[in-house]
Amino acid sequence: MSHWLEVFVQWAAKLGLNYSFVLDAYARDSLLQGALTTVWLCLFTLVGSLLAGVTLAAMLTSGKPWLARPARVFVEVTRNTPTLVQLYCAFLVLNMLLTQAVGTANPLTPFAWVVIVISLHKGAFHAEALRAGIEAVPAVTLEAASSLAFSSRQLLWNVQMPLAVRFALPSLVNNLIDLVKMTAVASAIAVGDITYASIMIWTQSDNVLELMILLLAFFGLLSFVVNCVGRFLEARLRMPGYGH
Amino acid sequence: MVIETAGALWEWSPALATGFWQNILISLLAIAIGSLLGLLIGALAVSPLWITRLPARIWVQVFRNAPWLVLIYFTTYVFPFELHIGGHWVAFPDWVKVTIGLALPASANVAEIFRGAIGSIPGTQWEASRSLAFTRGQIFRSIILPQCFKRMLPPWMNLYAVITMGTALASLVGVHDLIDTAQIASNTVNRTGFTVMIYFSVLALFFVYCYPISRLTQHLERRYAFS
Repeated sequence: MSHWLEVFVQWAAKLGLNYSFVLDAYARDSLLQGALTTVWLCLFTLVGSLLAGVTLAAMLTSGKPWLARPARVFVEVTRNTPTLVQLYCAFLVLNMLLTQAVGTANPLTPFAWVVIVISLHKGAFHAEALRAGIEAVPAVTLEAASSLAFSSRQLLWNVQMPLAVRFALPSLVNNLIDLVKMTAVASAIAVGDITYASIMIWTQSDNVLELMILLLAFFGLLSFVVNCVGRFLEARLRMPGYGH
Repeated sequence: MVIETAGALWEWSPALATGFWQNILISLLAIAIGSLLGLLIGALAVSPLWITRLPARIWVQVFRNAPWLVLIYFTTYVFPFELHIGGHWVAFPDWVKVTIGLALPASANVAEIFRGAIGSIPGTQWEASRSLAFTRGQIFRSIILPQCFKRMLPPWMNLYAVITMGTALASLVGVHDLIDTAQIASNTVNRTGFTVMIYFSVLALFFVYCYPISRLTQHLERRYAFS
């Protein structure tokens, strides 16, 4: 392992890039730890955002104004304000109020706040995609299903949802790639993700360019994985005559 | 106590306005640079020669897939503090670097919007105009581009709103913008009620600026949907 790293460092040195920090065990471990934190952050927010998205989409399309209206307000506010400001409103304001209320027993770590805020933020985008998918299901399909004596629950789960998910899938995958990139804001409240680990390293040794290339490659890899999974799902769920 | 908080907020409001103006300035410059660069790259991306298409594709892929925050750190730390222009040292302020950091992904997105708009014009129009003996340049100028601008407007406005929200990241590299001002105010006044108020005011300011743009975009999308 360390042999290959040395070969890599020497090869990079020929290109004029100083990657010697990967030979330093401390810097390497903090980077790996950061990468792991980013991956966990992505996984938690991915699941959380989908749950939030489904809930919000259900509220938006419920047809009940007392459910649809608050969901609509939430979606509009979330889509039209910066994630960083939302994160500050949650972490610096709500977290402060919570700490004042319960003292040091505050169970929410900065990591948890990032997961909550990004989940809700991306949930709003998922909800819009799912709502568009639900509305794209042709009315005649639903009428045909109800004439076959489907109950309203069966109609939702066996006809409307499967089609809506297929319609919404491309934009959901798009949102998820955006989500992966968005996890970089976690560094703003000192969650030790890969961006934060890189900042810590480049403030000590002046190798911003090398770390930037590493960061871009890492996020590129994560987006690529999400994209591949999305493509696989699209191909797997493809139904002749629906979607592309 | 409520009156005290409101009074403190009123006292800080000129500073907040100055900070927000910095955000708006960054966003306007970034979309201007990004649009010019993006149209150029978009034009390269639709050219029939692969030698010009390939660099354009790489540019778009790299800058669309990079997190904005990472790009902002990139431009802030990689560019020098001063520039040597014609024997003079000219300061290269951080907010200009942030503007460039936002203009890079903006250009990649504009290029994609441009490519998408050109791709959305039916191929039959190309064939019809070629059969009327228009040259390639003439087809672009007189037939394709006028239709493209109409189609590009809604996604372009959407991009502008997203960039405006992206300017919030400027505070992380030490630009004295709205969020930075809010943090200073919150630390100076140091009262719970004030901290709550000021951060939600920041949220409200961004919302008031971006929501009308988003509504207008939706309106235009609906208007141009079937024409």
